[in-house]
Amino acid sequence: MKRKEILIIAMLFLIGGFSVQAQKYATKTGVIRFYSEAPAENIEAFNHQVNSAIDLNSGDFVFRVLMKGFQFEKALMQEHFNENYVESHKYPNATFVGKVSNLSDIDLSKNGTYDAEVSGNMTIKGVTKEVIEKGVFEVKDGLINGKSTFYIQLADYDIKIPRTVVKNISETVEINVDVSLSLLNN
Amino acid sequence: MNKWIKIMLILVAMGAVGAVIGYVFVYNKSHPDFEKKKADFTLTAEELFKFYRSDQASAELKYNGKVVEISGVLSEIESIYDLTIAVFVLDKGLFGKEGIRISMLENHQEKLKNTPQGAVVIIKGFVTGYNETDVVMEHGSLIN
Repeated sequence: MKRKEILIIAMLFLIGGFSVQAQKYATKTGVIRFYSEAPAENIEAFNHQVNSAIDLNSGDFVFRVLMKGFQFEKALMQEHFNENYVESHKYPNATFVGKVSNLSDIDLSKNGTYDAEVSGNMTIKGVTKEVIEKGVFEVKDGLINGKSTFYIQLADYDIKIPRTVVKNISETVEINVDVSLSLLNN
Repeated sequence: MNKWIKIMLILVAMGAVGAVIGYVFVYNKSHPDFEKKKADFTLTAEELFKFYRSDQASAELKYNGKVVEISGVLSEIESIYDLTIAVFVLDKGLFGKEGIRISMLENHQEKLKNTPQGAVVIIKGFVTGYNETDVVMEHGSLIN
């Protein structure tokens, strides 16, 4: 599916899913950490300007990440990540469009800590995969903090590691998500 | 000294110099100095935002990954974690305010915080892209 089509579907999904009365929570400063542990070196990168939103009525949950926003310790790693691996010039965004599957078991309008299951479509480098991941929502005084740690296989998203650097980059990378969502006042 | 030993020593020395150069200038090269980097483009915040809105594909090709200097009315300053973000609000959408968001370089954070909201400012930064709500920039420096 082309990127434009995915974006249009995502937007229709959102417009359809977010009713007028919906309690929408969102952030533009979500954090995503990327971590690769390999024999030769460990690679870590952070993106601090991640868009995310959740609709408490429907459980719709979305992310949008700009790939060029990942900051690496080494400039060379950042260059390789953008130019060779995720090809951010062709695929500038990564997205997740899904739902909190166990919304009926949790009440995100009340203070507390809730285990959540999130399922949906993750798109990286133009490749969309269905994913189901676990996470935790902590609700405190009107703020919803969502955290999740999961792993992705780079090959699933058509990210190829050249043989020459196979000891430098893990085939499976750890992703940490940390978002503090506040009520949207439209 | 044996001729071959001399050649071997020279080759080893050349290899060592090459390795050091490779480590310092390639593997361990520093990130660009975005404060000193010359802007690839200069335009108003509104022009940049409108371009992404009207023709996203062309705007991405032209501006993503480039250093851009924009001018406009500073709408808000956000502080979160160790970030200070300059916000140019230019529209309102499904997810609230939309426009341009620039995460500032550490040495420009105080300068921005001391700038009154509503002031006309010029900020230079690295464009990471458009996320359907905002044009996002990093490594911002306040020019004026």
